[in-house]
Amino acid sequence: MNVLDLARWQFALTGSLHFLFVLLTLGLAPLLAIMNTRYVLGRKPVLERMTRFWGQVYVINYALGVFTGLVMEFQFGLSWSGLSHYAGDVFGAPLAIETLGSFFLESTFLGLWIFGWNRLPRKLHLACIWLVTLTAYASAFWIMAANSFLQHPAGVVERGGRLALDDFGALLSNPTFVMALPHVFSAALWAGGSVLIGASAYHLFKKTPDKEFFTRSLRLGVVTAFIGSLLGVGFGYAQMGLVNEVQPDKWSGSALAGAGLGLMILIGHVLQLLTMFVLLPLLIGDALARWRFMHPLLMALAPLPFAAAICGWLAREEGRQPWLIYGRLRVADALTPGLSGAEIAWSFAGFVGVLGALAVIDYVLIARTVRRGPDQIALGAPDLAPELEPVGSL
Amino acid sequence: MDTLWYVIFALLFAGYFALEGFTIGVGILLRLRPHAARDLQVAAIAPFVLAGEVWLVALAGLLFGVFPLLEGDLLSGMYPLVVALLLAWILRDAALWFRRRGDGPRWRPAWDVVLSAASLALAIVWGMVLVAIMRGFPGGFDPLGVAAGVGVALAYAFHGWTFATWRLAGHPAVDGASRRGRAVWLSALVAAAPALLTLAVVTPSLLDHMAPSATLNVIGFMVLPLTPVMIGAQVWVWRTFSRGPLPSFF
Repeated sequence: MNVLDLARWQFALTGSLHFLFVLLTLGLAPLLAIMNTRYVLGRKPVLERMTRFWGQVYVINYALGVFTGLVMEFQFGLSWSGLSHYAGDVFGAPLAIETLGSFFLESTFLGLWIFGWNRLPRKLHLACIWLVTLTAYASAFWIMAANSFLQHPAGVVERGGRLALDDFGALLSNPTFVMALPHVFSAALWAGGSVLIGASAYHLFKKTPDKEFFTRSLRLGVVTAFIGSLLGVGFGYAQMGLVNEVQPDKWSGSALAGAGLGLMILIGHVLQLLTMFVLLPLLIGDALARWRFMHPLLMALAPLPFAAAICGWLAREEGRQPWLIYGRLRVADALTPGLSGAEIAWSFAGFVGVLGALAVIDYVLIARTVRRGPDQIALGAPDLAPELEPVGSL
Repeated sequence: MDTLWYVIFALLFAGYFALEGFTIGVGILLRLRPHAARDLQVAAIAPFVLAGEVWLVALAGLLFGVFPLLEGDLLSGMYPLVVALLLAWILRDAALWFRRRGDGPRWRPAWDVVLSAASLALAIVWGMVLVAIMRGFPGGFDPLGVAAGVGVALAYAFHGWTFATWRLAGHPAVDGASRRGRAVWLSALVAAAPALLTLAVVTPSLLDHMAPSATLNVIGFMVLPLTPVMIGAQVWVWRTFSRGPLPSFF
């Protein structure tokens, strides 16, 4: 493999890892906000336990989203400096807005939510998880806006060999953005619902004592997966016409893009039919929670929305090749000039090795949290109260 | 407008060193502390980590949006250093997130080794990065960079110890020592000094490489209205977690 191949593989692997984790972050955040709201309004202990249990799954998953995201943010400048040279005046804007206006707030409010469990008034604590949800979706909005600019560079003019921002509105009404954004949001909800379904099925199958807890979680998971599948498939087809207008040979030009698209559609349809015509009706009388023979199947299906999402990304990004910015800048021309084989080989080994290992550990820790159930949750546990001298304020 | 973006950039840069300096410093010193003291030390910094490291994420985003021509040259010009910085940062964070999530007598001590080693590596690489920036990233091994790295590690460790003795005042975890809030401001200044020095050197280059006003206006239009919320959230973190019992998730 040459330098270009390695740089592409490094970006593809770290990007795919990032997407696996942020997908669940986006899917679980609104569900946590709903559970937390119902707890604050009704004070039912089971709803507090649900918020803490699923919250810990969310928080462990969040860590890897951050680690992989850091590598993504810096990788543009590391191995693709041709991108910022040619289009930084345009592409940099949504990324800067994302980090300052969204992620900065998301991270700060999440810290308040994680550590403020016993410190903040209940309603302010609740406000934090809603703000985390809002800013997480705002983050996805700006990242998708940036990605859509690569698919179809709308709203720009070329001046002196560089792209300049001409029409910000066109950047945000980009035909490869407007339908893809709700498509991704729906896929995330689908994945979040699917994790609730799979983990609840595990506990119901094992007949652990928390029957009400996991029956409720299963119900929320199925309804969420149903909404996600309905909107996800709908917005998926809705973007086809728009994509064909601006990238006519997207699916036919690349075997990998075509295969990714086909597999995603297959998984999507099978799961959607199953969710709509089997899982959703079986919520009546909580039949799904009682029918143990169904539970192994529900566990086995849980990873499928993640597989479909990765296939979807493969299709979207492979279908843009050989362009980094469609019709404007080739991937090969965006590679950092003078990047050496040794540099990219070491960074590839470091990023893929470290992030890959941490991703495996993270999934093991999520599985462990799920297996041990709601009684051994550290999130929201009582604070440590050592004897301290009264300290002066700052 | 140019001056405003420069001031925000400088604030994020120096602020990152002051706010992450003490969490990294506590990490560096952690292995030197007895086992019994470690959980309390980590609990003291834990609520500030998420709100502090995000200053560097924002700084990098701002670099891309406001100084796009500099971003590619800067990061790719110091390729091995930036990769090392990211890996050390990620491993430090992973140790914090994971150290209390597993079982077994060796799980937490093993992650505490990672936490200390990665924190030290992060501080040393920062020193090397700052020297490389000031010298226009010549590449190759630079002994001055390593010396600066040791200096940054010492400054962070000093800031970390000062913070811990203020937050855990009088507790055996900090050998019963206690510091006043004023001492934390002073140690924050010490931790931020390397960043301020670097800023002084690179200011002309920063002002030379601003994005065109159309780009700056768009970023400003979307971000500036949010600054009161950003500042408010940071102040809220400090008001909530700088006294009282210690939340214990990390």
